Amino acid sequence: MQALIISDKEYQTKIFTRLNQMLSKSLTVKGFNVKEIQIGRNDLAFCKGCFDCWVKKPGECIINDAMAQINYDFINSEVVVYLCQVVFGQFSANLKNSLDRWIPNILPFFETRRDGSTMHPARYSSNPKQIIIGYGDELSDEDTKLFIDVTTKHRQNVEVLIYQGDDAEILQVFDHLNLKKVGALL
Amino acid sequence: MNREPKRVVLISSSPKVSEESTSGLLTTRQEKLMKTEGLDVHRLDVRQSLMKRRTEADFEAMLHADALVFTFPLYVFCLPGILMRFLQDYYAHWTQRQDGAGGSRIYAVVNCGFPEANINQEAIRVIESFSRKTQNIFRFGVMIGGGGMLLGAQGTPFVRKIMSELDKAFSLMVEDIIQSRKDAVENISIAVNFPRKLYFFMGNKGWVSMAKTNGLKKKDLFCKPYSNF
Repeated sequence: MQALIISDKEYQTKIFTRLNQMLSKSLTVKGFNVKEIQIGRNDLAFCKGCFDCWVKKPGECIINDAMAQINYDFINSEVVVYLCQVVFGQFSANLKNSLDRWIPNILPFFETRRDGSTMHPARYSSNPKQIIIGYGDELSDEDTKLFIDVTTKHRQNVEVLIYQGDDAEILQVFDHLNLKKVGALL
Repeated sequence: MNREPKRVVLISSSPKVSEESTSGLLTTRQEKLMKTEGLDVHRLDVRQSLMKRRTEADFEAMLHADALVFTFPLYVFCLPGILMRFLQDYYAHWTQRQDGAGGSRIYAVVNCGFPEANINQEAIRVIESFSRKTQNIFRFGVMIGGGGMLLGAQGTPFVRKIMSELDKAFSLMVEDIIQSRKDAVENISIAVNFPRKLYFFMGNKGWVSMAKTNGLKKKDLFCKPYSNF
């Protein structure tokens, strides 16, 4: 069983280190082989909005850098954990860039969700359980609420947690999550 | 006595490299209107600023502006990574200066390829959060649904209509800047008035056509290069 932890090299704070160690240990105890990917400022080119990953080389980004391996690891993991410093209420730049370049894993077509909103369907019938954990030392209530809205409102199958240093609380919630693949509902 | 014109920095934030972008089109529209109204307009492009290492000069221009307008596409339900990079770097620059610069009025114009305009709400809130942290004043946002059609179907009646609504929103922005209004203004929601089913049909057909121009068949669009299961 493969688990992937993706984080931002620019925000390796004390609180991050503690969180990362805790979750990595918890996943290992549960029998996962844990791979960690830390994304730095110069590791990934910016998405250029060309959509070649949909219409030229479907399923793959045409930019030749570390993102190909990240997308491969994403699809072939049971669980993917994003550890995100909350910046202005959303993902930090390096993580957001990796999410922008994750779109080869979905199809270009428009579909309507049950709630009436628009979505792009998943490319793969089997996708990892995604857990997004926003962290920060002194997050404002507005930014915390915004991070939860940004991550949950338009996704159907993610768990979103906020960590501000309470180890027991985060572990209790994390340990009760179902860490299995989720099918095609993104 | 003549007053100095208000300074506005227009920040065009499309991640596209050289292709024409909807954000570029909207920024040009804002630029024309603002110049006509006598504002002192400076325009910058986020990708060019970052790639050509011009951020220091651009950040200084932003620090001295009366108003900043961010125009960008929605990427995976929020700001594109390239714009987040620019904002994080601006924040670091602003923090280093430690002179309390701020007080600029901030506006956001967000366009989304999905037909619903409200999907842009969280992106507007991110710009609002950025404004608070840099001690600027967030005023309002313009949320655009069906933004992809603005470039692709220019000149058609439904795009002319949406452009006219956008011009009204940009005029309100100009008035807000010139008069330094203090009253609250709601975010403006503008969507292409086009049947949803037809929008999907045309959009989906467009992807297949694009694939064909690249020598692919429709079934190739569904390929699964990373599938190991």
